[in-house]
Amino acid sequence: MQQYKKTQNKLILVLVGLPARGKTHISYKLNRYLNWIGYKSEIFSIKGAQQNNDQLDQNIDYELEIDPANQQFVDVRQQLSFTAAHQLVNFLQNDGDIALYNGLTSTKLDRQKLKSLFKEKLKLEYQVFWIESICDDPQVILNNINESKLSRFKEKTIEQFMNQINVLAQDYESLENIENLSYIKLINIGKLVKVHMLEGYLCSKIVSFLLNLHANNRQIYLVRSCQTEYHLLDKIGGDPELSATGKQHSQQLGDYFIEELKGNKNITFFTSQMKRGIQTAEIVGDKLGIKALKTKNLDEIDYGICDGLTVKEIAAKYPKQIKERKANPLEFKYPRGESFLDVIHRVEPIIYEIERSREPVLIIAHVAVLKCLYAYYHCNQINEIPNIDIPINCVIKLVPIPYHCLESRVIIK
Amino acid sequence: MQDCHKSQKIALCMVGLPARGKTYISRKLHRYLNWLGYNCKVFNIGNYRREICGTECDKSFFDSKNEQATKARNECAQMALNDLINYLNSDGEIAIFDGTNTTKERRNMVQCSLLQQCQNVQTLWIESICDDADVIQNNIRLTKLNNPDYVSMNPEDATKDFLGRIKMYEEVYQKIDLDENLSFIKLINIGEDIQIHKVKGYLLSKIISYLMNLHIYPRPIYLTRHGGSTFNQENRVGGDCDLSQQGIQYSEQLGKFLLDEFPTQEQRNQIHCLTSTMKRATHTAEIVCNILKINYLQLKTLDEINVGICDGLTYTQIAIQFPEDFAERKVNKLTYRYPRGESYLDLISRIEPIIYEIERSREPVLVIGHQAILRCLYAYFHRNEISEVPQLEIPIHAIIKLTPAAYYCEEIRIKIDPETGERKQIEEDLQIARINMLTKKKSYILL
Repeated sequence: MQQYKKTQNKLILVLVGLPARGKTHISYKLNRYLNWIGYKSEIFSIKGAQQNNDQLDQNIDYELEIDPANQQFVDVRQQLSFTAAHQLVNFLQNDGDIALYNGLTSTKLDRQKLKSLFKEKLKLEYQVFWIESICDDPQVILNNINESKLSRFKEKTIEQFMNQINVLAQDYESLENIENLSYIKLINIGKLVKVHMLEGYLCSKIVSFLLNLHANNRQIYLVRSCQTEYHLLDKIGGDPELSATGKQHSQQLGDYFIEELKGNKNITFFTSQMKRGIQTAEIVGDKLGIKALKTKNLDEIDYGICDGLTVKEIAAKYPKQIKERKANPLEFKYPRGESFLDVIHRVEPIIYEIERSREPVLIIAHVAVLKCLYAYYHCNQINEIPNIDIPINCVIKLVPIPYHCLESRVIIK
Repeated sequence: MQDCHKSQKIALCMVGLPARGKTYISRKLHRYLNWLGYNCKVFNIGNYRREICGTECDKSFFDSKNEQATKARNECAQMALNDLINYLNSDGEIAIFDGTNTTKERRNMVQCSLLQQCQNVQTLWIESICDDADVIQNNIRLTKLNNPDYVSMNPEDATKDFLGRIKMYEEVYQKIDLDENLSFIKLINIGEDIQIHKVKGYLLSKIISYLMNLHIYPRPIYLTRHGGSTFNQENRVGGDCDLSQQGIQYSEQLGKFLLDEFPTQEQRNQIHCLTSTMKRATHTAEIVCNILKINYLQLKTLDEINVGICDGLTYTQIAIQFPEDFAERKVNKLTYRYPRGESYLDLISRIEPIIYEIERSREPVLVIGHQAILRCLYAYFHRNEISEVPQLEIPIHAIIKLTPAAYYCEEIRIKIDPETGERKQIEEDLQIARINMLTKKKSYILL
């Protein structure tokens, strides 16, 4: 529903929670998702404000210097938090659609001040949605610190950090209904979720998205269906079957996954409803002893009037369209067909499924569709999508970890 | 995606005091899940109680201290539960247990029975909590006074007795506690507060998302096909042609009709207008929204069914060029997929997000769409059987106004003459109306 964004009010998502509760992780994931579905979204945090400030010592990581006893650091953090809020206002006043705020929001007073700042400075219609992450499972907190903070500790120990958090916890005030805020509380990574005064299309979507998040770092495999006669003839689109070579390659693909998945049959396995997708998935699935779920959402982009033509034929018949596509490859829509933006929208439910899955995910699909899926995990801007390289006979393995996504590619031959 | 996730059975159990909307939620879920293609059934304890104990039960029947009555009520609940378990163990996929289930003891009994006696079942408990006296009073007025229990009483006495009944339940009510270790969703004051605990899995996640969007604001939904197009005149399918002259006239008359439906500009500004990205629909929307002075949204999701290789052909040409496909479609119009195109089932899957959108909206919605798309949308609101979808009548140059009421949708169909603008209220095609009458009758009994 990307068209909705034009009528949507500006949206501010404010993160609340003690350190090591996954706020930054949530903000990164949300930011990535919102940008992918077509909104102009950005994160404003203490870290971000520090990077833009030349007067500060960039060797000190102010986001981690949470010691409440050190007054100088406390003051700097306050100042940076304030700066970030101002940068946020600026962003929305211009062409930003959604801003995520990851600053100081742990007390009712902090939140009140933030609300007043927005009210005073934002000269347009806006909505604020508060996202609180609460965790009382010490193992989870420890994992969090290990995965996302430990590498940045210079002289600090984990014990020191945990002690500082405990001190902060004494003044921490969880969101309460009386503050009259629209919020979601995620408790122990979504085991318990509380939502209050949910309003609006986008916030509903964000809540559905957040309900699916978890902390399992599982692998996602993206593979193209194997060779068909159309490949040999340089034709695009169509619904051709696998060629003999294609079937052979599918067998090799199956062998690769037998090794890779080590007998795990619980994987989430999707393919499209096109013949080449189904056939590749059948051969691979047989080797693994599992069946793929076929969904039309993963069908290749609809090439409209260009479907079944060779590249040369298209250039001859529709030069005007070729020009248009060169000018704006992301938004270009094949006449009577789809654009990349349409494919993103179509493939969104698959992203929810991938996010929800705590087991490895294997997707056998087609070039344009895989570009969109890949972009969700790897690209900061969707206009990079048309240029992504998704070679045939290549398994792209993505492992999302906090703040990043690891990638490796293996050519199967 | 529905073919994918049918391995596990699901039991949805309602919890809540009387007049908290449990049956409303059960019926909505039932309609939604059936529409998506699942075998789903509601088991309403109240109905079992009425059949076994009769409808002459006043509030003392619900007193927990009344041992004999309590025993009888427990037996009714057990019977309903047994039927539910049998349903899930045979061809049922999702069962909804519609009862108060207000004590920990009862919930524990139900949960254990389900886990022990059903093969591979997932349970979700849906608790509806409401302390707004006005809402409760309104609920009673809309849904209880027509209830078989109170048919012979006058409204004031009926309300008094029902409030008394609620008090009986309140005395022993125990809200769902975290230590019961159940997967649950609590809807508090019609979604003002929502709590979700331990929900995992594709279908349960979907159900949660659906429930979060429900409300009881009675806003109207207008469904209309785009004005007549040049292809319509030639009896062709598919294509992306523009409106015929008559189509343009209809659009103008439609705009005028809506001006009368929404007398003030403020009311018109509230209208949510959705249309597809195809010329004929967009053109209609443009004309209508110009008259209403509002914006419209183009959604590819609302594009007409993709007829693949048959695009641009007339039905006669299809019969000649693709005789096998033509015959197959006649036999199984619902599942038949045009080669390189879509089936009605694909359509239902495709327009699901629109259903969420319309449900969520608390303002009037106007959908300017196409025949196949509207058949799917209409079927959802009208609780048609999924097999009826491809035959539903959505006439051209007419507007259908649906107003969701307590357990069904009020419907008005108005044919608008493109030239004269004359408005005539019409009835549905009689044969289809007959089918609907049967389903409507059922719906009154299941109060």
